[in-house]
Amino acid sequence: MSSLSRLLKSKKCVSNYGQQIRVFSAQASPNGNDVEMDDEEFRVLNLRASNQKQLARREFKKPEVMPPRSLKMATDQDWTAVWPGPRSFHPASVPLPIRQGFTVKGAAPPSKYANAELMKIPNFLHLTPPAIKQQCEAIKKFCTPWPKGLETEEKWKRLFPVDVVSTDYCQALPTIRNPDARRVTITLKLSELKFDDHAKDKFLRLVGDRYDSETDILTIVADRCPLRKQNYDYAMYLLTACYHESFITEPWEESKSEADMENYKYERNKSKLSVEQILNWGNADSSDKREASTGYIESLENLVNGGENEYSLNKYKEEVIKMIGLRQ
Amino acid sequence: MHLARRLPAISRNCNVRLIKTTSAVTQSAAEEQIVIPKRIQRSPTAILEALSATVGRDPTAPHYKFHDDPYLIPTSNVSKRTFAMAQEAGRKAAKWIKEEHRNLFMHQEAQPPIEAFAPKMVFNEESEVTLETLEQLIKQSLIQDAVFVYNLMKTKGVEITAEAKQSMLELLSFYNHEEPMPEEFYEERWFKENTQGQQRQTKTWKDGDLAEQVFNEIEPKTPQAYAAIIRGMAKYYQADRAYALFQEALEKQLQLDTATYNSIINNVNFLKETPDQKWELCKDLLQQMKQQQLKPDLGTLNGLLECISSFGNYKMGRTCALQVLSEFKKLGVELSLGSYYYVLIIFCRERGPVSHVIVDILNEIQGKEFKIQHPKDTYFFATAMDVCRNHLHDRSLAKKVDKLLHVGNNYDLIGDTYKESIYYRHYFALLSQTSTIEEFLETYDKLVPNVYIPEPGIMEEVLKMIELNGAYELMPRFWSDMVIFDHINRESLLLRTLKIMLNNKPDVTVKSQQQLPEQFAKVALDIYNKVVESEGRVKKLSFTGQMIGDILTILVRGGNWEKAVEVFNNIDKNQHRIPGTPSDACLMEFVEAAIVNKSPSQALQCLQYAVENHMDGLSLAERINKGFTLNEVHIAKMKSLVGDSFLKE
Repeated sequence: MSSLSRLLKSKKCVSNYGQQIRVFSAQASPNGNDVEMDDEEFRVLNLRASNQKQLARREFKKPEVMPPRSLKMATDQDWTAVWPGPRSFHPASVPLPIRQGFTVKGAAPPSKYANAELMKIPNFLHLTPPAIKQQCEAIKKFCTPWPKGLETEEKWKRLFPVDVVSTDYCQALPTIRNPDARRVTITLKLSELKFDDHAKDKFLRLVGDRYDSETDILTIVADRCPLRKQNYDYAMYLLTACYHESFITEPWEESKSEADMENYKYERNKSKLSVEQILNWGNADSSDKREASTGYIESLENLVNGGENEYSLNKYKEEVIKMIGLRQ
Repeated sequence: MHLARRLPAISRNCNVRLIKTTSAVTQSAAEEQIVIPKRIQRSPTAILEALSATVGRDPTAPHYKFHDDPYLIPTSNVSKRTFAMAQEAGRKAAKWIKEEHRNLFMHQEAQPPIEAFAPKMVFNEESEVTLETLEQLIKQSLIQDAVFVYNLMKTKGVEITAEAKQSMLELLSFYNHEEPMPEEFYEERWFKENTQGQQRQTKTWKDGDLAEQVFNEIEPKTPQAYAAIIRGMAKYYQADRAYALFQEALEKQLQLDTATYNSIINNVNFLKETPDQKWELCKDLLQQMKQQQLKPDLGTLNGLLECISSFGNYKMGRTCALQVLSEFKKLGVELSLGSYYYVLIIFCRERGPVSHVIVDILNEIQGKEFKIQHPKDTYFFATAMDVCRNHLHDRSLAKKVDKLLHVGNNYDLIGDTYKESIYYRHYFALLSQTSTIEEFLETYDKLVPNVYIPEPGIMEEVLKMIELNGAYELMPRFWSDMVIFDHINRESLLLRTLKIMLNNKPDVTVKSQQQLPEQFAKVALDIYNKVVESEGRVKKLSFTGQMIGDILTILVRGGNWEKAVEVFNNIDKNQHRIPGTPSDACLMEFVEAAIVNKSPSQALQCLQYAVENHMDGLSLAERINKGFTLNEVHIAKMKSLVGDSFLKE
């Protein structure tokens, strides 16, 4: 402080402005000089001088940065041109005062600038309704009209009962091929095919667990060939072959005995004879033969095929009593 | 980037797209015939192209090659170039690493294999070379390797078939033994200064090199061999020898093709001196073509027009060009933009009469989309705009040219960055001279700075327009543009900016202009700081008395007294370094401001400065005397400076 005032005094002598002190020139003179200028005091050896005397670093000048371009955007601009595809959020390109995240309780969420929260979340700025509309318009020319006569689902399900499903993959790998793309699945409601009893039985045996009895849907998956086309052809071949095969009766099928049957059937069983024998007891007239009632047949088949339980047993009992004509 | 990050996740999820096709298993009981329309055929990229066509241009966004971030958007022509070339340098570094550490890149995991990712084959004396190798190299246009392998095959005595020799000759002739710039360096090609066309073409054909050897080895000489070597020589302007070979081929009664004739026509300028001789030769060549029953094409037309454009005689050029054009119109040759370019340079000459041929051209090609067909096609737009500006000075024509440029993919034909900037330079200069300021600003907002950054010369035109229209309220904005475009080291621009701000004193009573004096002061201070900072740099700016006086006045008007004092001190201190002095009016305004700010010492300092520099001190002294109640010391000082005449009223 004292050195400064000394300096000012000496300056005052030089200038002839009287009271006025020229502040600027005083500031401009380098501070190191005052030691030499003052002869009256001893010079001080400053041991730390070497530390303090740092080279004046050249100031790094930041280049001029443009203001965020969102400020320049017109209010009626075409947003789809600004944000045409999926992209991480960028505050300078989005002219919306968005906020996200929190700092302290009760404070407003941080603004969009330098906001990592906004960059982390996926945004859908490229999928605005006008953008979707534009894109749909653009690819409309590749679409064919929906065929006439197939307006309802019921109609097209009936006319085109076979569904073929395959999958295309888009992936970030050096190879553009995905082995799973070869897989072809065809599904079909079995009620769409026409069978007789034998054929249906044989067909179901042929397809095995590819048939889901609950939904009545047959599913054939083909993936044994390297190409999708080949797999598709193979699946269609399987379907055709199984269908036609099921109508052929092989000679050995005749030798199927009652024990090989998968279902109890009243018609072909010995119990039919027994029941009819009991019903026609003492009736020699062959023209007036009594047969079992349909209710009885149903309850019997239900009992054997569905297993014994209270309901089926009771039902059977009722039917037997009814048929024989006993009084309860 | 974003997309690439998402993709691995997608491949893990696997179910990306489910295509459900319903196949036809028709029931016989269909009550009516169901007609399923045929699939509309499309190319693999058709959908992408259709989607990309929906994306318009965003005037606020930079070109997509730059990062969309304020810190990384280039704002001057230099930084545009630097940023793009930095990316290119990265590409080059990657390429270099690939070749340098070739053993690390021998694996090929991509399916189908990507050839560009594999290192190039290296050949030495021991390499096993076959004809297939050579054919492969020729197919890939690897000139040096092809030459090496060719020579190696010769020394090893491997037989080279006639077809291989012919394709080798074609390769060497086309590229003149020089490796072409790799395809992937598109930025370099875009920014490379294209000297071809600006300078006089010179002979660059390598005489006596392998191409000629291969040509000599081919026995018997086929027309194709002649065609290849003649076209090669003609392309690199070895005109005399090309013509000699051409004559030789004719003597041998060989059937040459149209392209070879075209290449000779392109070289007529080198073969003959005067326009008459040139024209005679052209006619001869055309006659020969007729005899050989060759149909001339676009190349012939452009070659003829190029030859005609070199005629010094305006009238002759004009008539010849018209003859050629009508002749080719009869033949049904479609003109390319290159042809129109030649027509423009034939008709619109600097010292020739004014020609309105461009009007007809534009009427003819309005709304038409062009594809590149001739090397000179890229010259059309810059030249057309030049004609609009310098020859006809017609704004509506310029607008038409600009409209044509944006039809379809016509923008691809703008050429390179050099031609693009010439185009916009002419466009902006013309607009700034002929249109109203609102119209000009509309275009300016659309194109600056992402498409075009005005050069200092154009900026000066813009400032002139502002000056003329008195639209000084735009100055702060244009100043910030100039700062961003890095124009502030141009003294003429600084002076003009100051002049506009000085001569147009904002009217503070109008509400929209209340901010202006302050903003002007900021600009002036900016200029002051820039000049002070530039000291010690290579490109040094220096004050003139006029300039620093203007800064001082604007600061005073803007009410920034503190800085004004600082500037005045600078003037006072560096009296001997600053050539010239501020104007009297400037000093007077400073004194007025000193009175307002009640600092008599500054006023006296100003008076002293005026007196020392032989300016009108008396009026200043009178003003000071009137404005302040001065003490004895001050009055004594003033008396010593200007005498005591100021005390008399």
